[in-house]
Amino acid sequence: MPDYRLTELEKKIDDLKMLMDVSAIISSTLDLGELTALVMEKAKHVMRADACSILLFNRKTGRLEFDVALCTDARDGEILRQQVTLELGEGIAGWVAEHQEPVLVKNAADDSRFFTRADALTGFTTKSIIAVPLVGREGLIGVAEIMNPRERDSFSGHDLEIFLALCRQVAVAMENALYHKDALERQRLRQELELAATIQQSFLPVSPVKEMGPFRLTGITIPAKHVGGDLYDFVEPLPGKAGLFIGDISGKGVSAALFMAKVMGDFRYQAHGIADPGMVLQRLNQQLSDTPRGMFLTAIYAIADQQTGSVAVAVAGHPPLLWITAEGVTVLRPDAGPPVGICDTDFPVKEIMLAPGDRLIMMTDGVFDARDCNGLRLGFDEVVSFVGHNRQQDCLPELMVGRVSEFVGDAERADDLTIVEMRYGV
Amino acid sequence: MKIDVGDYKGNKVVSLAGEIDMHSSPALRERLLVLIRERPQRLVVNFRDVSYIDSSGIATFVEGLKHMRTYNGRLQFSEIPQGIMEIFSFSKLDKVFEICGTLDEAVNC
Repeated sequence: MPDYRLTELEKKIDDLKMLMDVSAIISSTLDLGELTALVMEKAKHVMRADACSILLFNRKTGRLEFDVALCTDARDGEILRQQVTLELGEGIAGWVAEHQEPVLVKNAADDSRFFTRADALTGFTTKSIIAVPLVGREGLIGVAEIMNPRERDSFSGHDLEIFLALCRQVAVAMENALYHKDALERQRLRQELELAATIQQSFLPVSPVKEMGPFRLTGITIPAKHVGGDLYDFVEPLPGKAGLFIGDISGKGVSAALFMAKVMGDFRYQAHGIADPGMVLQRLNQQLSDTPRGMFLTAIYAIADQQTGSVAVAVAGHPPLLWITAEGVTVLRPDAGPPVGICDTDFPVKEIMLAPGDRLIMMTDGVFDARDCNGLRLGFDEVVSFVGHNRQQDCLPELMVGRVSEFVGDAERADDLTIVEMRYGV
Repeated sequence: MKIDVGDYKGNKVVSLAGEIDMHSSPALRERLLVLIRERPQRLVVNFRDVSYIDSSGIATFVEGLKHMRTYNGRLQFSEIPQGIMEIFSFSKLDKVFEICGTLDEAVNC
């Protein structure tokens, strides 16, 4: 075999070895930063080049940003990362990103696309360059470049083929690493939300059932997401009084949960020592008048007298109460104020006299606004009818939750759901 | 949700169609606040083709209302469908917002 064929074969073996090495590097890490630095270091070494770089496409800004820049002087890489970004179409890398085609430039100085500012900033002189687009399943990831072959004037078509083969592997690996990074971020957020849900739960009463003299107060709340904006509380504002509070914060998620925490604190502070639920809502309204983004709270506060069975109720834009007696279910729509946190207003108080065995049920709109797979709503009338049929049952709030779950089926529940019950004569 | 901004007898009118919920209300908020930044004396929101509104949608209007109150501007709602009106009455929001039957009623009062 002639010498030149032997040299060619040796070169091809070296190239294959390099690609196998790169493949090994790629399978060794899912850390994007580590991956790109290791691969480009290998590429620079094997292709005997002075410098190489990877620019990542930032989808938010629509610009290319240097991620890895391996130059003869390490400081040059830092300068490029900090000071240079390219628009699509700007410079050779920008042209490659825009057209998603590789280029081999034998002499950069003769190429009108060449971006001279990078060399001006670093003092590096780009001569020959290969730039290859990194494209994944969801489009452009970035551009890989290799500059100035040593001991030769310019890169060859063979160099381009090798660099293309390498970049195909790099693009797949980068995409996998990006997916992995997203998955880790999602996992972190899920853990944060689970923690937030635990913290939020701690604001609610320790036990969902509280006996206060002849009254039994019960509460159930189920957030639509990990954290929600529904709340309830049992308080004893004065000796001999049993207070039941239910509320629904506008919106959902973390912002509603944070506002819920503030409302719980403010409510407990304002409720202490006051027998008039309207006055408590009014004070809460003043305290929450400056809420961000128009957030508001619908609420009912009921204070029962343990001696007489009378209940004073104040409503702030909240859905009606259900009064269950031996005869049936009555929908109570007392004169009410608007939701808390919107405008300066009064909250009228309605007095109800309960007979032993009577129950008051209050709920948030997540109960009757629940939708099934076809987008149909359960409806308030259906809830009233269900309560009427099951009014003799002991665990009515649990049964109501069961009815909502049955109705919703496999559809995603869009809203938080809370039901509280005040039962007299237990 | 579809948002159209137009003029009616010299007044700005925001016509909405579809569902106003936590997914669509950020876009509505953006449009509404841009309009309110111009400090209109009257802004009418036409609900004729709205099929649903949730609490995050209502909060968007509450925010707009609070901004307009600072300069005595009026935020009016017109042509509210029965289903949406029930939500407003349920939550006593009819005590908060200026609700008119038709666009003409809104701009003439």
